Amino acid sequence: MSQRARALWIAAVVLLTGWAATSSLVGREARENSWLLSDQALNLGLDLRGGIHWLLHIDEPTAFSRELKHFEGILTDAAEDEGVELAGTQLRDDRVLELEGDLGALLELIEDRVGSSVDVERAGDRLELRLSGGTRDEVLERSVSQALEVLERRVNRLGVTEPVLAAQGAGRILVQMPGGEIDPAGARAILENTTFLEFKKVLAAADNEELLRARYPEGLPEATVVVFSRTPEGDPIEALLVPAEPVLTGDMLQDARVGFDRRNRPEIDFTWNAAGTAIFREFTSENVGERMAAIIDGEVVTAPVIQDRIGRQGRITGSFTQEEAGQVAISLRSGALPIPLQIEEERSVGPALGADSVVKGVRSIALGGTIVILFMLLYYSLSGLFANVALIVNLVVIIGLMSLAGATLTLPGIAGLVLTVGMAVDANVIIFERIREELRRDKSIRNAVAVGFSRSRLTILDANITTLIAAVVLLYFGRGPVQGFGVTLAVGIVSSVFCALTVTRLLVDLTVARGVRALRI
Amino acid sequence: MLFRGFNLGIEFAGGTVSELRIPAAAGAVGEGALRSAMEGAGYEGTVVTRIGTPEERDFSVSLKRSQAEERDLSVNVESLLNQALGTEVEVRRVESIGPRVGSELRTAAAQALLISWGCILLYIWFRFDLRYAPGAVAALIHDVLITAGVFVLLGWEFNLQVLAALLVVIGYSLNDTIVIYDRIRENLEVRGTTHLEDVVNQSINQTLSRTLLTSLTTLIVVVAMVALGGPVLRGFAVALLIGVVIGTYSTIYVASALLIFLERRYGSVTAAR
Repeated sequence: MSQRARALWIAAVVLLTGWAATSSLVGREARENSWLLSDQALNLGLDLRGGIHWLLHIDEPTAFSRELKHFEGILTDAAEDEGVELAGTQLRDDRVLELEGDLGALLELIEDRVGSSVDVERAGDRLELRLSGGTRDEVLERSVSQALEVLERRVNRLGVTEPVLAAQGAGRILVQMPGGEIDPAGARAILENTTFLEFKKVLAAADNEELLRARYPEGLPEATVVVFSRTPEGDPIEALLVPAEPVLTGDMLQDARVGFDRRNRPEIDFTWNAAGTAIFREFTSENVGERMAAIIDGEVVTAPVIQDRIGRQGRITGSFTQEEAGQVAISLRSGALPIPLQIEEERSVGPALGADSVVKGVRSIALGGTIVILFMLLYYSLSGLFANVALIVNLVVIIGLMSLAGATLTLPGIAGLVLTVGMAVDANVIIFERIREELRRDKSIRNAVAVGFSRSRLTILDANITTLIAAVVLLYFGRGPVQGFGVTLAVGIVSSVFCALTVTRLLVDLTVARGVRALRI
Repeated sequence: MLFRGFNLGIEFAGGTVSELRIPAAAGAVGEGALRSAMEGAGYEGTVVTRIGTPEERDFSVSLKRSQAEERDLSVNVESLLNQALGTEVEVRRVESIGPRVGSELRTAAAQALLISWGCILLYIWFRFDLRYAPGAVAALIHDVLITAGVFVLLGWEFNLQVLAALLVVIGYSLNDTIVIYDRIRENLEVRGTTHLEDVVNQSINQTLSRTLLTSLTTLIVVVAMVALGGPVLRGFAVALLIGVVIGTYSTIYVASALLIFLERRYGSVTAAR
């Protein structure tokens, strides 16, 4: 490549990365207000901007024993219906359900009603039921989506900007809440079960609130409220008038899940506990043909018509897809059951410390960088200046590349930057030492520079690829902030090799081309 | 190292660490006061260390405990100390790791070290010759052991950041080794393998100024990080400081010496590629 082409190529890289780096460094407001700057920017990690990071996991014993209790209910009811002798049931260690009675008939019943969801084993005079592997996975998956639904609602209510909520493999959930003003103790409250599920009789319904109110020219009856059912996007579909006091509350609901009717249409099956059963039976017998609304935190989840007198178990049917039925079931469950969640990992950083860390990081870069720059100038004079230019270009390229990729800068990431400043001059040192050596062998300047660069290139690549291996390993195995270190280190290595082999080279070549007698190196 | 064992950070051991700032209104508070406040509340084995300068009044309170008890601990530490000191402490940072994540991270850490060693061995084999590889890997195992050993001997906390520093030390030490190996290979092409010791010696001398210069610039920034980087990065920076010093001399004394030893023992070093 000619010198002109190389210069253009370097200028293009520097302009692009410089533009991206500036966009990141000027701050959010300036960036968004300027048409010139990129909207894509470097993210600050939670350890720098402050915030809370949780890795939650589903408490398996609770989730599994709850599922076994569900099967226990099904089998108890089925045994009663079919007149099969069931002498006793017992839950052991949260994971084994023991049944006693007419074992042969019970086995058939299990096969018929529960099927492959459980593994059955005969142990003496009783049957032992365990959840099958597939069921356990399914329970974890269901628990995770239920927990995500609940957490999303609560985190949004906290007013957190840009929260991250995501399932992370088997039974785990990642929660990140940036912004240090939420204190960890307060944030933990969102893990407690505070969702309020109520069941109320529908007194009147209309397409919107105005129409509903128009029916009561003298004002709404006493002790009533208006609630809305909404589309998933949040647009109101229907306005309902309901009493202020509920008939039943979520703590009486034992379970809700998707089932299928005889024509294989999806429905929602629900089960009450003993107290709920009595109230519900009385209520439904008095209100056949009326509607009943299930309301979570003031929002209507579903408002079906009561078809019949119902006791412990009931079902909600209608023209909905399996997915819609699943949503309603999840909502009902989330209102009824506390989510069995445990904190597996917590990192929270106050905004003051985060800002402190940024300042300290920048100071160490400034101090270390200044000394290195001075040292290079003193030791290599003019060539040292070239190395310093390469070093500064290097920093711009690193920050620019990371901004373009929308990467996250963490505190160890800043450490990676500091380290890069120290190690980036290495490639230059290798080259300059080599050129000096060649000059000592009385080679011409032009010759010494050419040999110096060509002999150094492989050495530099070899030496840096090994560090790159270490950085990539960190990227894969590191966790949390340390991963950010792997990112800056990897980007830093690639960029410093680029800078030494192009920027320094170009500057040295330009000097040599001007016909200097002695290269000050 | 065998007898004392690592003082594993809570990332590996499981537990919780809180970084607190005690307001000036609380008067003179030392580590002892905080420790006895925690122990008085039944949290035996609490480690309290002052971080930063005495004027900053920052402390780190760390406890290695099982998940069940730890669940509310970060809240407890705050309210416990508030009560004991009769003032509002400022919680600047909390980190809790459950035992399951802790053991996963331990496994991942061991894997990371072994895999990086393996990859590097393969790379050197590919780029140079199998006979060069043991020397390089021996040098970097040497560096890692000594750096980790210093942490064990002094009882410093070994956490994820220190592990990251170790991986950098590996890359860094190798960087040096490869520069010398490169030169040895180049000189062998010119002079042949009859005077291997001379060639190695000459190569070390030719690259010595580079080795020292690079170590110097790296040390400059690492020292800047130890001095100004703040307490969160201290372990990382100190591990790097030790590693860079050890890495510089191991290149010269371990890697090249082993190359000569292997050559004497198993025959000629080929100037491959």
